[in-house]
Amino acid sequence: MSIDTRPAAPQRTSSVPRRMRSVPRPRRGTGNPVAGIGSLIWLVIVLVPLYTLLSSSLMHQDEALNGDPLAFPTDPTLDNYTTVLDSGFLSLLGNTAVVAVATVVLVLVLSVPVAYVAVRTRSRLSSLAFRTFLLGVAIPAQAVIVPLYLLIGKMGLYDSLWAIILPTAAFAMPVAVLVLSGTMRDVSEEMYEAMALDGASPLRMLWQLAVPLSKGGISTVAIFSALQAWNGFLFPLILTQSEENRVLTLGLFTFMTQFGVNIPAVLAAIVLSVVPIFAVYLVARRALVDGLMGVGGK
Amino acid sequence: MRSGIFSQGTRTTRWAAAGAALALAGILAGCGSGAGGSGDGTLTAYVYGDDAVKVQQAAVDTFNKTSDVKVKLVSVPGTDYVNKLRSAMGSPGAPDIFFNWGGGSIKPYVDSDDLLDLTSTVNEDPALKDGFLPSVMTAGGLDGKIYGVPMRGMQPVMLFYNKALFTEHKIEPPKTWEDLQKAITTFKNAGITPFALGGSDKWPELMWMEYLLDRIGGPEVFRRIQNGDTDGWGDPAVLKTARTVEQLIDDGAFGKNFNSVDYGNGGAPTLLNKGKAAMHLMGSWEYSTQLGKAPEFAAKDLGWTAFPTVAGGVGDPANVVGNPTNYWSVNARTKHKDAALAFLRTMASESYSKALVDNGDIPTTSDAASMLSTSPNPAFANDQYEMVQKAPSFTLSWDQALESRYATPLLTEISKLFAGKSTPEQFVEAMKAAK
Amino acid sequence: MSVHTPHAERGGDRKAAVGSVGRPPVGWAVPGILFFALFAIVPLAIAVYLSFTTWDGLDSPALTGLDNWTRLFKDSEFGQAAWLTLLLTTISWAFQTPVALLLGVWAAGRQRSRAVLSAVFFIPLLLSTTAIAVLFHALLDPNFGVVKEIGPWIGVDPNVMGSSTGALLVVAFVGGWQFMPFHTLIYQGGARQIPEVLYQAASIDGAGMIRQFFHITLPQLRHTMTTSSVLMIVGSLTYFDTVLIMTKGGPGTDTTILPYLMYRTGFQTYDLGYAAAIATALVVVATGLSLLLVRFSGFGSMRSTREGM
Repeated sequence: MSIDTRPAAPQRTSSVPRRMRSVPRPRRGTGNPVAGIGSLIWLVIVLVPLYTLLSSSLMHQDEALNGDPLAFPTDPTLDNYTTVLDSGFLSLLGNTAVVAVATVVLVLVLSVPVAYVAVRTRSRLSSLAFRTFLLGVAIPAQAVIVPLYLLIGKMGLYDSLWAIILPTAAFAMPVAVLVLSGTMRDVSEEMYEAMALDGASPLRMLWQLAVPLSKGGISTVAIFSALQAWNGFLFPLILTQSEENRVLTLGLFTFMTQFGVNIPAVLAAIVLSVVPIFAVYLVARRALVDGLMGVGGK
Repeated sequence: MRSGIFSQGTRTTRWAAAGAALALAGILAGCGSGAGGSGDGTLTAYVYGDDAVKVQQAAVDTFNKTSDVKVKLVSVPGTDYVNKLRSAMGSPGAPDIFFNWGGGSIKPYVDSDDLLDLTSTVNEDPALKDGFLPSVMTAGGLDGKIYGVPMRGMQPVMLFYNKALFTEHKIEPPKTWEDLQKAITTFKNAGITPFALGGSDKWPELMWMEYLLDRIGGPEVFRRIQNGDTDGWGDPAVLKTARTVEQLIDDGAFGKNFNSVDYGNGGAPTLLNKGKAAMHLMGSWEYSTQLGKAPEFAAKDLGWTAFPTVAGGVGDPANVVGNPTNYWSVNARTKHKDAALAFLRTMASESYSKALVDNGDIPTTSDAASMLSTSPNPAFANDQYEMVQKAPSFTLSWDQALESRYATPLLTEISKLFAGKSTPEQFVEAMKAAK
Repeated sequence: MSVHTPHAERGGDRKAAVGSVGRPPVGWAVPGILFFALFAIVPLAIAVYLSFTTWDGLDSPALTGLDNWTRLFKDSEFGQAAWLTLLLTTISWAFQTPVALLLGVWAAGRQRSRAVLSAVFFIPLLLSTTAIAVLFHALLDPNFGVVKEIGPWIGVDPNVMGSSTGALLVVAFVGGWQFMPFHTLIYQGGARQIPEVLYQAASIDGAGMIRQFFHITLPQLRHTMTTSSVLMIVGSLTYFDTVLIMTKGGPGTDTTILPYLMYRTGFQTYDLGYAAAIATALVVVATGLSLLLVRFSGFGSMRSTREGM
């Protein structure tokens, strides 16, 4: 695994006129002591809960309740993990995976054309649509949960995975459209012209030019929407009910009550819930980091 | 200037719109079939998810062996039960049969004609009509009609205590208010929380209000409120109850951090069984909870008694609050009415009562007394049965007796009172204004 | 795969090119727009409609005119919730921005150690909000959590979740703990794009590190800060999961922020009409705040420069 953090692709760098290309190289004044100390403090703040999470999840319940929580477990056990796995954890994971994949696919299939149209046409309609999406960034999902409950119920989707996927995808779209149109703007006009001279259709231009050159944006969107689906709590909470359709986040919430002060088991459930995405992180850290950086814009 | 593109555009526009419509239709159609609720030949039954579900599951399994229409039991995690049921009832995936507390907990469904009126069914069937204690059967109804069949044990609220701590500090479990204050002082001085209280969950605080008001003003005060008169909150007994709560908190009866202690996650019961708290006011299910969490403690050191008298109160000290029992009600829109009723009839069977007893519950059937000897703890079972049988009044938990549109604000106001965020006077005013 | 072309040149070309190159039909955007409309815009419209009705979720909504809205303005609980939302948002912003800014600028340096630390900093972002709330709920249990042991040691009352201020600060902290890496990344990305020559020029002028930070880094990160702030503010307006899991709006109602009040009114009290009114108010606040930020920070003008490219 590479721990290099250079910006991934040059197209991400500046597109604003006043900017000059910055050459990636060590900045002067690297030894900023305030930030250095600050980052060490933050390191402790990040690590202590994570350490407790891991170590306590290996403890027996009595040790976790009575012992020194910062000490390493005297008699490490995997029992807590077995408890969690026996409580239907894998089905939670499966549901979450289905939701995440379906959301990503839906968001990409729907947002790429919108962004492409927004960038490549000058009509009133497309600019209106673009502005609507821009405003959509500020619509909190909580605000529409009551009508969504009504709508999903009327569609007969209450308590199905679709009840989670559809609204999650819709609420990931504004950011997706913004990010994608941002990257697609960077594709130069000459390349379109060149393709047009070859007699390429708009579809071919999208498929062979805009999409390949927006890989960065597309992976940002994919990661962002996958995280939305992964994180989603409100939609599953209100719009699903049965155990077959329970996703990971809701499952953790249920475990919290079910396992109660069996804190090690609760923590083991959390650890297990992180494992899949942590694996992704190890394999594709660069894509993940760069992708999220992309949400912040250029 | 763009005519060529434009004409191409309209065609594609149509294509795209049609595609979108198709895709959406496909999605919707595909999902419709996958939605919850009762398909053909199954009855969905929602039950409050806790340790007792295994008894209902066994009953369902037995029923399904002989029935063509199968019952599918859905165990909804306890803390969310009321909300989840309500959300589901408002959707096409509504359950056919569902667990409830009777009273206000089913009022919205009765008002919107969602419940099957079971009055004639019960009256025409001696097994149902005579099988259960009449008072319990009535408590499950509304306006003289019957909407539910009892399906679990009785759940009076009792004062549980840690025997070892009482022995160690040489005092007796409180019978009077004086005893109670003495116990508070004794345990506080010993660094032990006198009463465990899961304040974070709010409803354990409600139990204190229920008993205090009953002891101070008698059951009539709340009965008036339950019947829809919010001015009933203006009764001086309510104010005195709230003041008593304030006093208890000031005296440190619940320790300092009860606001962030949960009942749901077992925090409060654990305080009791670890000897960090001496007493715990809780529903009779506390016994099975302790049996599950700390079997040794439950067998040896768990004591129980009635809520003490309150000085100057007019309520009968034999009165009880809590849940008389739980009921199954049937959705009026069910496709399998007969099968649902057949399932409900099994609740009156001796084998089902037996299963409840073996699980530590006390069934509300007429012949329950003769069965209690096989209970895991006959002493506890007999005491509880006797307590309920002798009680002149059994007040249903306020949050179940009132509809959720009153119950939720009530819980919020009580939580504010306990957190010291509102005074007893403000509590009374807020409740009078609730609508 | 550098596709970067100098700007002026590109803008000029485009003007000439309009109309002469195959443009995609606007219709391509229709499915996406319809979908978004169906699940976001239409519900928003329904929410506005429902805010003029009374609805218990079982019967049909019945129009009641302005009742919910007049009630909203008189409801002290709504007032408190709005205030707490504002407070939580402000605290979150004031906590996250300086830390994320410092960490981000620091992490923009290319030393290996920083890369390693950045990799660690990223981890909280991998946990879902629910997981984090459940984790801290366990850690902060006053009787059985870590806070009982190490709380006094670092000056935190073990009953922090039971005190009004404490609970609110915990919610803000937990939100920050999770999202700090995200905002750090945004600032890191921003800081890397500040042209090196600016710093070189400044150091030739004899500007010290602190001066450089305030005169170059900060102004150059203006847009980044806006983006990050908008996301932060809209995000913390909706710290719903954390509140539901960790505090249930308590103690009392002291962490009952607007989204939680909405949830309680809608899905516990089942007063869905009034809940819709609260929700509508939340949208107005969220959109208003974002627009305000965009206006005052010049984010909008940046967008139009980009659009004109």
